[in-house]
Amino acid sequence: MERRDLNHQILNILAKSVRKIIRDDGADMSRIQEIRMRTGQPLRVVKENRETVLPAAEQPHIVTKEELRETMDYISHYSLYAYADELRQGFLTIEGGHRVGVSGKVIVDQEKVKNIQYISSVNIRVSHEVIGCADSLLPFITKNRQVCHTLIISPPFCGKTTMIRDLIRQISDGNQYVKGCSVGVVDERSELGGCYLGIAQNHLGSRTDILDCCPKAEGMIMLIRSMSPQVIAVDEIGTSEDIHAIEYAMQCGCKLIASVHGLDLDEASRKPVLGELIRRRMFERYVVLGNGEHPGEIRGIYDERGSVLCRG
Amino acid sequence: MQRVIGGVLIMTATVGAGWVYCHDLKNYLGKMLYLRYVMSLVKGEIGYTHAPLPEVFLEVAGRIKQPYRAWLSGTARAVADRDEGSFARVWNRCADQYLKPLGLRHEHSVLIKEPGTFLGSLERETLDRTLMMYLNRLDLEIEKQREGLASRIRIGRCLGVMSGIFLIILLI
Repeated sequence: MERRDLNHQILNILAKSVRKIIRDDGADMSRIQEIRMRTGQPLRVVKENRETVLPAAEQPHIVTKEELRETMDYISHYSLYAYADELRQGFLTIEGGHRVGVSGKVIVDQEKVKNIQYISSVNIRVSHEVIGCADSLLPFITKNRQVCHTLIISPPFCGKTTMIRDLIRQISDGNQYVKGCSVGVVDERSELGGCYLGIAQNHLGSRTDILDCCPKAEGMIMLIRSMSPQVIAVDEIGTSEDIHAIEYAMQCGCKLIASVHGLDLDEASRKPVLGELIRRRMFERYVVLGNGEHPGEIRGIYDERGSVLCRG
Repeated sequence: MQRVIGGVLIMTATVGAGWVYCHDLKNYLGKMLYLRYVMSLVKGEIGYTHAPLPEVFLEVAGRIKQPYRAWLSGTARAVADRDEGSFARVWNRCADQYLKPLGLRHEHSVLIKEPGTFLGSLERETLDRTLMMYLNRLDLEIEKQREGLASRIRIGRCLGVMSGIFLIILLI
C-alpha cells in the first residue's frame, strides 16, 4: 500500500510523457532518490546512488519546455501563485514531503528574490524517511528519561535532518529511554515535517507541533509562548538570531535539539556566537555525524565538557 | 358558451406563454448574477488564503447551490487528478459538463470559460487584478441584460395578451 502511494505521489506530478517513460522503466519510487528534468537535456534518474538516463543511455528522452511546464502545472495544481513563497526559496514541498527544487530566471525586486520565472530545471527529490535511524543515539542523549540539550554537528549530506526527524518522532512518542513529551518543531524549509498544506507528511510523533515555513528565531519564541513545548527542535541553525533564540528557549526550561553544519566539535566551537554557547556549556550533548560508510554514521558523541561518550 | 370557453383558453395560453418568457428572462439574469457571485467567492478565497485551486474550489463549492457546486467540485477533482494537460482544458470541459443545465447563451458560455486562460497561471497580484477585470466584465454583461430586461418583459406580456386577442378574433 505504502509503495503504491509513493509511486502515485511521484508519478502523478510528472508530465504524461515522462510518467510513461518512468512507468515503463519499472517505476519503484522506494528505490529512486531523484528525478532530474532539464529543458533540452536527457531525463535522468538517480536510483540507489547511481544516475541513469531514461529510457536508455543511447536513446535518451530529451525533456521539452512543454513537458517541464506540464510538470510544473501538476506539481502546483495549476496554482503557482499559491507556492510563491516556497518558489522564492527555490523549492516547493509536495504531498508526501517530497522536495521539488526548481531553477530558472530569477526575478529580483529591491535586491531580494521575488520569484522564479521561465523554470528550466526541476529536481524531484523523493523523500525517504529512515525510521529508527536515531535508535543508537537516543541512549546517549537522555538522562533519567529526559532529553539533554543536544547539538548535532554534521557536514552537508550526512543525514542530520533524517536523524533529527527520527529523534523528534521518538521523543514525541516516548520509549524506554525517553518519556513522551510535547515537541515543538520550527521547520523553516519544510524539511523536517515535509508539510503539505500544513499537514506533516513525515512521521514526527503524536505530541509534535510544527511551525512550517517559519523563520527559526521567531518560531522558537512563538512556540514557547503559544504551545509550551518541553522540547524544541530546529534544523541547521546559523544566524546569530537563531543562537540567541536558542539561548532564550534554554532559559525558558525547554530542552533543545538543534543541528548545525560543521565537521566536528572544534569547528563548531570556532563559530562566533555558537562557539560562545559551547564554551558556556549550554549544550549537554554533541553528536558528530559523518558519511563514511553510509549517511548518518555517528562519528562521536560528546558531553558538555567535550569528553567522548561514544565513538563510531 | 363554447366560444367563450375557447376564448378564455386561448387567452390563458398566450398570456401564460408571455409569462413564461418573462420568467425565463428574469431567471437568466439570476443565473448570471449567481455566476458572478461564485466567481467573486473564488476571487476572495484566492486573495485571502492563497490556497491552491482545488482547495479554493472545494471551499467555495461548500457555500453555493447546485449545479454550481457540482461544477466547482468536479473542477477541483479534475485538477487534483492531474490528467488533462492544461488548466484551460480542464476548466472548459467542466464548464461544458456541469453548467449545461443552465442553458447559457453562446457568448456567456465563452465568457464563463475565460478564466481557464488565466486562473492559476499568474502570480498573486496580477491574478487578483485580472479576476477583478473579469468580474467587471461580468458586471457589464449583467448590466446589459438588466437594461433590456424591463422593456422585454413589457413586450413579452403585451405580446402574450395581443397574440391572444388576435387568435381569438381570427379563430372565433
